[in-house]
Amino acid sequence: MHSIEYDAIHDELLVPVPFGGAILTFRGGASGEEPPLRVIQGSQTRLEAPDRLGIDPVNNEIFVPEGRKVLVFPRETNGNVAPVRALEGPQTKLGGGFTAGVGVIGIDSIRNLLVAGSGIGQGDNGRLQLLIFDRKASGDTKPLRNINGPKTMLTNLGGPFTLYPPKGKIIVPIRGAVTVNKTMAVDSFVGVYDINDDGDVAPEMILGGPRGVFQMIRGVAVNAKHKELIISDKRLNAVLTFHVPELF
Amino acid sequence: MGISMQDRVKTSGPRRGRWTGALGVICAICGLLLLGVHSTTRELLSAGKYAGSDPTTAVRLVSAEPFAEMEGEACLWEPASASAALSSSLMQGAAASPVALRRTLDFSARKPIRTIRDPYSAFSAVAIDHKNNEVILADENLFQIAVYDRLANTPANAKMTEPKRLIAGDKTHIEFQCGVYVDPKTGDIYAVNNDTVDDMVIFSREAKGNVPPDRSLHTPHGTFGIAVHEEREELFLTVQHDNAIVVYRKYAVEEEAPIRLIQGDRTLLADPHGIAIDTTSKLIYVTNYGATKSFEQVRPARGSAAQPTWPLQDAAPGTGRFYPPSINVYRLEDSGDVAPVRVITGPKTKINWATGLAIDKDRNELLVANDMGDEILVFNLDASGDAAPVRMMKGPKTLLKNPTGLYLDEVNNEFWVTNFGNRTATVYKRGADGDTAPLRLIRSGPIDSVPMLGNPHPVAYDTKREQILVPN
Repeated sequence: MHSIEYDAIHDELLVPVPFGGAILTFRGGASGEEPPLRVIQGSQTRLEAPDRLGIDPVNNEIFVPEGRKVLVFPRETNGNVAPVRALEGPQTKLGGGFTAGVGVIGIDSIRNLLVAGSGIGQGDNGRLQLLIFDRKASGDTKPLRNINGPKTMLTNLGGPFTLYPPKGKIIVPIRGAVTVNKTMAVDSFVGVYDINDDGDVAPEMILGGPRGVFQMIRGVAVNAKHKELIISDKRLNAVLTFHVPELF
Repeated sequence: MGISMQDRVKTSGPRRGRWTGALGVICAICGLLLLGVHSTTRELLSAGKYAGSDPTTAVRLVSAEPFAEMEGEACLWEPASASAALSSSLMQGAAASPVALRRTLDFSARKPIRTIRDPYSAFSAVAIDHKNNEVILADENLFQIAVYDRLANTPANAKMTEPKRLIAGDKTHIEFQCGVYVDPKTGDIYAVNNDTVDDMVIFSREAKGNVPPDRSLHTPHGTFGIAVHEEREELFLTVQHDNAIVVYRKYAVEEEAPIRLIQGDRTLLADPHGIAIDTTSKLIYVTNYGATKSFEQVRPARGSAAQPTWPLQDAAPGTGRFYPPSINVYRLEDSGDVAPVRVITGPKTKINWATGLAIDKDRNELLVANDMGDEILVFNLDASGDAAPVRMMKGPKTLLKNPTGLYLDEVNNEFWVTNFGNRTATVYKRGADGDTAPLRLIRSGPIDSVPMLGNPHPVAYDTKREQILVPN
């Protein structure tokens, strides 16, 4: 499973199921073998192998990146239901691929923006771009901004990024290349960007690397109350918590 | 960037100490420098008030609290050029380009204040080397293959049993190995990776430490179970991600393509895991978790993946579906989109994310590691449909906890189980039933310390319960 989102307003958990082409929503306090509250799955959904998702609990929408498109469903969708809109087409610059692919989404409900992490190229030769759209963008729409280039240090995505809308920040786990025997990416780090950034800009902040503590960075979550970033590392098989007051 | 001083510096209350206050001011100034050029003049003045440096305001610093202790640096000292860049940008006002002048805050050396990590082995799969009387265990937590004496038994008062030897380290390409097989003739160890490295690695019996595999085979992504037909010299792998079974020559290496492929809607393969083959009846048994989808006829253009025996990987839109967990049975020589000869599934079967399988021909039984049920289910080999198990092992004496790997030792009349949930490999008498204690066990750590954190990828934070959510 490559994504999990907590909806703090409705106290729900959302996960994509790539093997079953589904989006599941659980109670926030779900435990044990508890069935989901809702399942989005079926021929109308256009879901293929959903690997990541984003939730906009303010505007009640679920965003699912799929290949070269982003599908949008009402939050309370249940069953075999078509998306209410899709962002797709050559002008979107949404790319394909797995490692460096489109597969990550974040919603800034304050600024009404959608951030899509999209790959250019593949694997260790690929790099990442952060495409920023209007939250309601649909069809073949150009991004408002595109953070991309060598100064950005956006190489390969480690895992799902997260947004911190109160400060307008995009917090991205970046793993770099797998440089050690197919297993370690010692250039892993967290890069922080401003949601108003555009073009080839340096990150505002880098944390934990490159050549720091990480060996294969994956996901990141925000604990704003304690001014912490919670970051997973697949090679360390660990979850690490950093105190980052500068971010908050 | 925001300023955290509001949380730390109070504007009233008793004086707490000159140096503490001074430290707060220094850190406030440092924090201001670290704000970078995104800070506005208004933010700076506001921050200055909190730091007690603005004589025009009635607010003044009377006390401060230090930052929480941490291993890494909280407040990096920037060179003088940093403040020059900041003041320069402020003086230039609207004409300045904040992004162009940005100085990245470099916290690359910062250390975490907390780490959640399981320090002990989590055994996922098991095989026996009869020639050398050794048991081989795959460890998905510490990324290693551990070799023990077959008769090793961890005493209750011992922390763990040390293996005779380990194969581990970045040169081995071992990470999330979930299946192992031992060549009965040579003692070669075959180890299957379920996630990060799309290679099956093969080590000689002498391999030890951080050594490269003696050979390796590029496989589809997400292989899980392994079974080998020694007479035919064929190697069978399940492919979780592609709902497929691939069959290779036993000695296939590098980019050699599979010789057969079972994949397609008619197969009813749905997130397949464990695999066992019955060479007498010429059948393949495969456990399925149940999630599945259809695939489009699109193939990668290079390497072994371009061959027609490589599984299709692109999902067809809107085809996702969930089947009940099952055990599907195929003919040994099946190929393509073939229906199973029978399926064991339904509520009476109790199958719930079953993984490892073993075939006991002498007893005409199929042993199943039922992960979610903390139990071993035993079916007749010819069971079909919603068939109840003929017996099952379950209960506190068994020490079964999230069993994933199974191995039937016909030579010594025992069977082995790897318990992913309590860091043990347990051994039982062949034919054991009910709540039976193991004959022996190998434990890699305290049985009741169970972080069970493995293969973490995404994380989320539950603000209501103040909990970290980590799918494994």
